[in-house]
Amino acid sequence: MAVSFEPDPCAKCEEVLQPYLDRELSDAEYAEAEKHLDGCSYCRKRYRFEVELRRFVRQAVVEEMPPDLKAKLAALRTPL
Amino acid sequence: MQETYARAFRSWQSYQPGTNLRAWLLRILTNLNIDRGRRVQRSPDMQPLEEGDYFLYNKLEEAGETGEERVDRRLSQDDAVAALSEVPHDFRDVLVLVDIGDFSYADAAQILDIPIGTVMSRLHRGRRILKKELAERTVGSSV
Repeated sequence: MAVSFEPDPCAKCEEVLQPYLDRELSDAEYAEAEKHLDGCSYCRKRYRFEVELRRFVRQAVVEEMPPDLKAKLAALRTPL
Repeated sequence: MQETYARAFRSWQSYQPGTNLRAWLLRILTNLNIDRGRRVQRSPDMQPLEEGDYFLYNKLEEAGETGEERVDRRLSQDDAVAALSEVPHDFRDVLVLVDIGDFSYADAAQILDIPIGTVMSRLHRGRRILKKELAERTVGSSV
C-alpha cells in the first residue's frame, strides 16, 4: 500500500527520508518518495546532503589513516 | 550462535582500522543464515527528521558551502573519528552496521540481538549525535 504524501508532502518526505536512504521502504513507498524528490528541490537538497555525509563517514573509517588515528579508532571498540 | 557473532562484532576483535570495515563485517556474517532481501515495513516508531538533524546542513549552507564535496572541504578524517567517538557505543554499533557496513535494519537487529524498533531509534539518535559533533568540528566553526 502506498504511503500518502498529502496533505504535507515535505513532512512526509522527512519522515521517510532515513528509511529511504537505508532502502527500507516498500516498493510503493519508495516510488512515492522518488516522485516527491523528483519534484521538490527542498527535500532533494537534504537527501543529497545525507548521502554525501554518509559517504564521508564511511570513507573516513575505511581509508588508510595515520597510526595515531588508527589507535583512536581502535579505542572505539565496544568492550564486551 | 548468534550471541557469539554479536560479541565478535561488539569487541571488534579482528578488525584492523584503516582496512575494509565492510568486508570485515561481512565475514562475521558469513555463517549467519540471514535473508538479505528481507526488508521491514515502516514502523510507527519511525521518527521524522527534525531541526537538530539539519544543524550541520544549515551550518555548512550559512558558511557558503553548497554542492558536492562540501563535507570533505570542511571536515577531516580526524574529525570523523573524533565525532564517532562521541557517539555512545550502543548507538555507534548500529551506526557502524547500517551506515558503514550497509546492513539492513533486520540484519543489524539480528547481529546485535535487539528489536528492529530499537535499531531504528538508536540509528536516529546516533545519527543526530554524530551530526551535532561534526557540526562542532567544521572548519571555521563558531559553535
